[in-house]
Parts: sequence; structure tokens; C-alpha cells
Amino acid sequence: MAKIMTAAEAVSRFVFDGAIIGMGGQTIGRSAMSIYHEIIRQKKKDLTLVGCNLSIPMDLLVGAGLVRRTECGTGNLERFGTTFCWRKAIEQGRLENEDYSHLAMVTRFLAGEMGLPFMPIQSLLGSDILHKKAASTGKKFEVVNNPWNPGEKVVLLPALNPDVSIIHVQKSDEQGNLIIEGFLTHEPEMIRASKTVIASCEEIIPSEEIRKYPERTTIPYVYVRAIVLQPWGAHPTSTYRYYQYDSEHIWEYQRCAREGGTAFREYLEKYIHSCQSFDEYSEKVGGLKKYNYLRQEMMKMV
Amino acid sequence: MSVDFSLEELMIIESARHIRDGEMVFVGTGIPMVAAMYAQKTHAPNICFVVETGPISPQVLPVPISVSDPKAMYRAAKLGTLREVLGCLLQRGMVDLGFLGGAQIDQFGNINSTVLGDYQHPKVRFPGSGGANDIASLAKRILVITPHEKRRFPEHCSYLTSPGYIDGPNGREKAGLKMTRPELTVVTDLTVMSIDKTRGKLQVVKLMPGITLEQVRENTGFKVEAASAVITVELPSAKELNILRREVDPEREYLGKGKD
Repeated sequence: MAKIMTAAEAVSRFVFDGAIIGMGGQTIGRSAMSIYHEIIRQKKKDLTLVGCNLSIPMDLLVGAGLVRRTECGTGNLERFGTTFCWRKAIEQGRLENEDYSHLAMVTRFLAGEMGLPFMPIQSLLGSDILHKKAASTGKKFEVVNNPWNPGEKVVLLPALNPDVSIIHVQKSDEQGNLIIEGFLTHEPEMIRASKTVIASCEEIIPSEEIRKYPERTTIPYVYVRAIVLQPWGAHPTSTYRYYQYDSEHIWEYQRCAREGGTAFREYLEKYIHSCQSFDEYSEKVGGLKKYNYLRQEMMKMV
Repeated sequence: MSVDFSLEELMIIESARHIRDGEMVFVGTGIPMVAAMYAQKTHAPNICFVVETGPISPQVLPVPISVSDPKAMYRAAKLGTLREVLGCLLQRGMVDLGFLGGAQIDQFGNINSTVLGDYQHPKVRFPGSGGANDIASLAKRILVITPHEKRRFPEHCSYLTSPGYIDGPNGREKAGLKMTRPELTVVTDLTVMSIDKTRGKLQVVKLMPGITLEQVRENTGFKVEAASAVITVELPSAKELNILRREVDPEREYLGKGKD
């Protein structure tokens, strides 16, 4: 089964209206932007977005009106401020969010990846993360006694199995064996918990290289359905060892998201709807010159 | 010899003094990261930084602006997973000190970083917990750094994101938290408050130079007691300020108002 395909093909085959999407990356690091642009172009809607830190791509999809619900530890861009579309949509009652902590989200993925219905955790106790929930959330948790140490409390959280996880990685072979370099955040658990996985990558490497050093494989091919070769595919977020985040473009996005309305619609039009592909977008945000600059910035630190 | 400094700078230096050499310290970005980097360059060269994206023991470069910034990963012992740092190191009980911030901190040291108003129909939506609830629940000691403004210190948080002492001295125990009575300290640009474990409430233990207890009370939304002996925060030396300004945050990414 051929797995290498375009972003357009991957999204049309594996992302559907109403899907629960597991979002990889963290804040301004390694978000699979080319895939999310394609979701916006194809107008996949009523999406539920899940992950730990939901950042620019979540905010873009919310701003484009395609999201019904988010479940996460946080929505924010740290030094670049909050995720404005998300914040406004929640404050205006257009979006439902369910809050967890980061450890809680990864614990739910951990249950999911092991085929278990729930998993214990020992944070959250005494907090409103347990005691308050969104209107459509069913049973959010159960507190039980440790059977081996009665009196010790344990929180049980339900497994979370996304319909599709969307990630950006450094390397894949054509079979879909993935190598992720740098931080891994919640991705290994989330990827293995997902029903299917779309991975964009900076490079396709020979399978021979994977098979020669299999201990370097982060995610074996069995979880992965679609590989999209897209160098610079995480822009404006960073990809460890490849390029730094693009502060200039992130601030431009933040200005548009904060202002909303026409400014945000113009951003979508200029950078997504009017582009046939992510390569066209890459040219608009500075092309090779910008890419080389961000690459040099990254190389100072690795 | 007197040296020019801002209270913001002293807030960072005072926070750093709570870090002991050799400790495992859980940090996010922002002022907490600056304080931990300062500690590493002064009295605590052997601290083990832990960052939620997965870095373990990086030699952090000045100054990361995100937990996914490669500056927070530089020469780490390991770039692991979120489960490894929040689940294994923190939940197992290996983290000595966790740094937190937040929109609201109440009299019990509880933190709100989620919403103002009703949860389902919030007036203001903040970023949410991230790893903060986990850190507040599971670290051995908790340090909160925040600018001192009245609206940040209400009697009760409108949403309890990260537990302090919840509702009193036994609050954490009743809730079932493993760390029943952690040290919890709040460092601001006016004062240092810590939890009085017999009452489960914050009390003033130190004042920034030139600041009075009355000024702290005027700028605090809850009634705050003072410890029996309130001392003045030790002044920074020229050498300390130099390290903070030139080595920790030379680009003034976070040191907004500091004098040079």
C-alpha cells in the first residue's frame, strides 16, 4: 500500500467531518502546518481537537470555524501571547473546551495506546479540573481507593483514542517508519493511541537506513497511514535540527488573530485559500532566503 | 555601596535563592526560567532542569521563549517525552521544586490560570493548566512568581486550576494529594509570602526593600497576616545584577524595566 501522498490526498482520505484529531507538536515547535492548511482548504468541519498544548494550528482551525470542541491542557503561545481565536470563541460561547492537565492528557493517551479503558493519575485531586466540566462532557473521572493501600486516592481517567493524529517529523522512510528528533512531548503515546496517523516529514530516507539502526525508529510503520513529504512543513513553528521558528510570521499571525474579523479572513485568504499548496505559502512567507536564515538560527543551537 | 536595581530584578534574584544546588527543578518559560537560569549561573550550578516537552538537564541558553525552544534543549542529558518528565520524574516524587505563575492566587495559595467567571460561560478565558496542576500537586516545594497586583490576589480563585492548601491546613490531605504539606512560597515585587502550615494560609515573611506591610496589604485582595518576624529581602550585589543582566537575559527578553 503506497503511503507517500500529497497533503490534499492525505486529508481527503483520512480526515472526515466530525473527526477527533490528535495534534502533535508543542507551542511553537513542530506543528504539521501543511496538513492543517489543507484541512482548511477542504473545509473539514465539526472537528474535535485534542492534545496537550494546542497552539497555532488549533487557533487557525478555530478561527476558520471548523472546530466544535477542544480537549487539552492549555491553549497558548507563551511569549507570543494567547491563542486569540480560541479564547474569543470560548468567551463568546461558540466553542466548547474541556480542561485537563498535561499529565492528564498524556495519561489518557497512555490508556488508549495500551488498549485499556482508563488509567490512574495522582494529580488533579482537589482542583476544579475535576469538579467543573463542559456541558456535553460525559463522566469525566472517577476517584477510587488504591486497592492495595486503602485510604490512598487515585483518579481514573478515560482512554482517549483520536480518529487521526497529525504530526510533523524529521524523517520517514516510504513505509512510514518515523524518526522524531529533539523533544517528543506527548506524541509517542498519542500517535500509538490513534486509529490512523498522517505524518508530514522533512525528508524521506532509505528503508535500508531504518533497518540498519532500528533502535533509532521513534514510531514503526504499523501505526502510520499517510506520509507527506513537505520540507519546511512546520513553518512558522520550528523543527529541531532543521529550522528555528519564524518570530516575524508568528507575530503577523498573532496580530491578525487578535484583531479577528477582516484581518483574520485576509490572513486565511492570503496564506491558505489562495495557495494551491504549501510550497506556494512558503514562497509568500519569505522563500529560500527566510528558510536559510531560520536554518542557520537553528544550527547555532544544535 | 548602593547599586541601582528594579524590584522586578530583585524578585527574580530572591526567587532564585529558593533553589538549592543539586536539586531537580521543574520550570516553564518566562520569569521562572530566568530565575532558574540565574541560580544555575550563581549558587546552584548543579541543578537539573526539567521542561515539560521532555528535556532533562539541559544547559539552557539565554533565553528560551517557549518550552519547545531549542534554547531549552541545549546540551541536555536527554530529550525525553512529556510522560517521562511529568509522569515519571514528577509523579514519582523526584522533583524538588516546581515553579508556577498564574492569573489569580488566593489566600490558600491556590492558583487560577483557567477562567474568570462561570466555567461554561467564562468572562475571560486564560490558557489553562498546562503542567501547572501536576507541578502544584506533586512537587516537593512550590514557588510562585508574580507581579503584585490587587486583582491577582483575591480571597478565593474563581476557578482552582492548581492546588495550594485548597481550603485550610488539611485541605490537601482531605483531597487525597500525596504531598500533603509542601512548602509553598509566593515571591512578588513587593513581598515574599509563604504558607503558614498551621492555618494553611499565606503570610508575609519578607518585604522588598522600601516596601511596608501596609503597602502589601493595600495591594492584596485578601486579609494577609504577617509572620512574627518579618525581614527585608537581602539586597542584590553589583555582581549578582551583572550576571542577571549580562549573562541570563542579555537581550532583555523578560527583564522589562531593569536598569542597566
